[in-house]
Amino acid sequence: MAALWQYVLGGVVDGAIFALVAAGFVLIYQVTGIINLAQGEFVMIGGMTAAALTTGGMPVVAAAAIAVVVAAAVGGLTYVLAIRPARGATPLTLLFITLGVDVALRGLALFVWGTNPYSLPPFSSGSAIHVFGGAMPPQSLWVLGTDALVFAALYVFFRHTKMGTAVRAAVANPPIASTFGIPLRTFAFGSFVVAAAIGGLGGVVVTPIPGVEYDAGLTYGLAGFVAAVLGGIDSLPGALLGGFTLGIVEHVAAGLLSPGWDQGIGFFILLLVLVIRPRGLLGRAARRA
Amino acid sequence: MRRLSTAYAPVAAVIVAVIAVLVWFLPSYYTGLLTLIGIYALVTVGLNLFMGYAGQVSLGQAAFVGIGAYTSAVLSVKLHITPWLGAIAGALAAALVAFALSFIVLRLRENLLALATLALGIVINVVFNEWDFIGGSSGFKGIPGFAIGSFVFDQRAYAILAWVLVGFGIWFAGNLVQSTYGRALVAVSAGELGAQALGVNSEGLRRQAFVLSAVYAGIAGAIYASSFTYIDPTSFGFLLSVNFVLMSVIGGLRSLWGAVIGAAIVVALGQILQTVIPLVLPGARGDFQSFFLGVILVVMLILMPRGLTSRFANSGRA
Amino acid sequence: MTAIAEPVTLTVSAVSMRFGGVQALDDVSFSARGGEVLGVMGPNGAGKTTLFNIISGVQRPTAGTVRLGEVRLTGRPVDRVAALGVTRTFQTPVMFWGLNVRESVCIALTACEFGGSYPPRADRALLPSGLGMPARRRADTALRARADALLERAGLTHMGDRPTESLAFGEERLLELTRALAVDPRVLLLDEPLSGLNPDEVGEVLRLIRGARAGGIAVLLVEHAVGELLSVADRVVVLDYGRTIAEGAPADVAANPAVIDAYIGDELE
Repeated sequence: MAALWQYVLGGVVDGAIFALVAAGFVLIYQVTGIINLAQGEFVMIGGMTAAALTTGGMPVVAAAAIAVVVAAAVGGLTYVLAIRPARGATPLTLLFITLGVDVALRGLALFVWGTNPYSLPPFSSGSAIHVFGGAMPPQSLWVLGTDALVFAALYVFFRHTKMGTAVRAAVANPPIASTFGIPLRTFAFGSFVVAAAIGGLGGVVVTPIPGVEYDAGLTYGLAGFVAAVLGGIDSLPGALLGGFTLGIVEHVAAGLLSPGWDQGIGFFILLLVLVIRPRGLLGRAARRA
Repeated sequence: MRRLSTAYAPVAAVIVAVIAVLVWFLPSYYTGLLTLIGIYALVTVGLNLFMGYAGQVSLGQAAFVGIGAYTSAVLSVKLHITPWLGAIAGALAAALVAFALSFIVLRLRENLLALATLALGIVINVVFNEWDFIGGSSGFKGIPGFAIGSFVFDQRAYAILAWVLVGFGIWFAGNLVQSTYGRALVAVSAGELGAQALGVNSEGLRRQAFVLSAVYAGIAGAIYASSFTYIDPTSFGFLLSVNFVLMSVIGGLRSLWGAVIGAAIVVALGQILQTVIPLVLPGARGDFQSFFLGVILVVMLILMPRGLTSRFANSGRA
Repeated sequence: MTAIAEPVTLTVSAVSMRFGGVQALDDVSFSARGGEVLGVMGPNGAGKTTLFNIISGVQRPTAGTVRLGEVRLTGRPVDRVAALGVTRTFQTPVMFWGLNVRESVCIALTACEFGGSYPPRADRALLPSGLGMPARRRADTALRARADALLERAGLTHMGDRPTESLAFGEERLLELTRALAVDPRVLLLDEPLSGLNPDEVGEVLRLIRGARAGGIAVLLVEHAVGELLSVADRVVVLDYGRTIAEGAPADVAANPAVIDAYIGDELE
């Protein structure tokens, strides 16, 4: 039982990151209808940039800030160079384009940083945090805190700001929204920038725990993506729920079965969701593609 | 040019002949490369039938290659059957798995189908990794090679074998796409409801295309296993599936020769860049081709008038 | 196309369709015999296309059944319904881009080749085609010849090699209709086949409809060109807000006050 609880705690930490990646997915999907398979690379870029800069001597705070900006810039460039030029592309084509971006970004990371793993020092010192007999690394608080911050900010933005309302209107009915002068393309651009920033921020806060390598993006991306679909790919609360659910299930499965099954369980769940309930736990009915 | 591109059998024969001659002069490293291109081209031909002609998506094709590889390898080693039979068994295994999975997965369309095949590919890969009987994460070694009588295949023979299979694969696929059956595949991808209204069971047709693509992949996997004598799960993961998609799209989805060209480009580009880039940027290491391949994929997709498989699709519905 | 030995009757019984709080069809019942043209009329939104979707299997009704002779059609998928003898055309013609005109007709013919449903088991179509078996090649050649004969019947011979992407709208409609007739259906559902056509093409379509009727097919015709519809229909059923408000001979229906009301006071010719 103590072991089980430990697995759950480990899953909470992972789940927090999955939730952040999922939030990025959901954001882009909601605003543009695109499934962005490159989302995980933003996490990797954030973590790598911060880690590389600190290894080079920069103070952590500055490195983190720069890392988030870099990630956001990459997100914006992705939109401008790969998405916007694809006029009239079908959703599937766009998915494949993001696949190409994912491959390209990973290749670029390999080129810039090589295959070496990098790491960041934990943001606060101290020993493990004890929760009901299980232990979590102190960095987990930073990850969870970032989660809270990001999701709260997104909530406030969408529910309580004029721009957020405009975005929701644009999402609900793009043709009508554009006749009201709502700039759909700007919102699409913005969604990529913000989603990338969120991912990058996630990368920065999670890197102290496992470290980061050039191909970390694939793991985070795929997991975050499963979390998003599980929770409902058009639901931000779903991203939160899906992230933590997936993290916990994966860790428990890895603990009870064997380590290799964490990804397996995750994708098995994805299959179940796609076949039985494509809109996920909290999603609304399928968006007309 | 038009007629040459549809004269599948003769051109395939010429290619096999050229390869058979080439392997006598090439250093063994390049022969190995040629073998790999052939193996991947075989998979891609099958994938193009499924994606380009039938208009579907598979982001998990590497799993079928793996099923073919492991089936052939395990049967050859544990039951001592000849790899020739192993290859047939591998193809059958891949076909059976594809058939079973098709009932779950082929009801989905486009995006959802892409994601479902992605998930399937990863789950199957995890099975490879966790199943100790087939070696688990350490892989499976000691796979016997092909042999004719007392002649055990060497690298040259594998290259020729791979390309002979590509030749047959293209011949079969070529016959298929030029027949009414092949036209039906296109009809289902272009106007599914219209085809159904004529009595075409589109899901059944897609199922056959899916199973066929798995057969291609399974045979390729068996050759892969024997020519490398060692396989492990990392060879058949998501990254390979993405590579197959790259090969398909870069070569041209609805094209059989395109499958060969795409495979050649994706495999060769890596090699070329590995030689060239360190000359330009001394000290640079790693596989750079990913970046260029990703960019090429994106550029091609942007330039395609209607994108991927919807290229010829008409959305006219009631 | 041979005359059907025994014309069959399509029976729609108490069909209702409700979605999203809207009653699209409400207790609709009628029948259509082989060898007659049944016009289906009604203002926009009356439920005509929904009715066709239900008969052809695109949608399942919330209540009621559709039968062809003794065979129940409701609940079967589109291709099964088609295999049983009910085919249709669409408001916007569905073209098979990537194929040419002749090949499009061949699709219809090959579906019939194996008893109405395609594909058959792998060894009967997939393998022979891939292996290039001579019998299969000969069969394919025969299909192409039959397709040419049908194209000639429809006045489309010169178009056989043209890619379907290059067709004009009227040509698309004619092709779709030729395809539908090629499967030797018992019931033909035509969803606004005349809209967008020039007078010559209208004449062509009406000719094909009359030919179908003569061959024993039950033709259900939804058409906004009321004049043409009344001229070719043997009977007419009128829908309004999902209900049948009239049924009978064209002249009677045209004079029916309820029908005129439904069309907001327009005089029907």
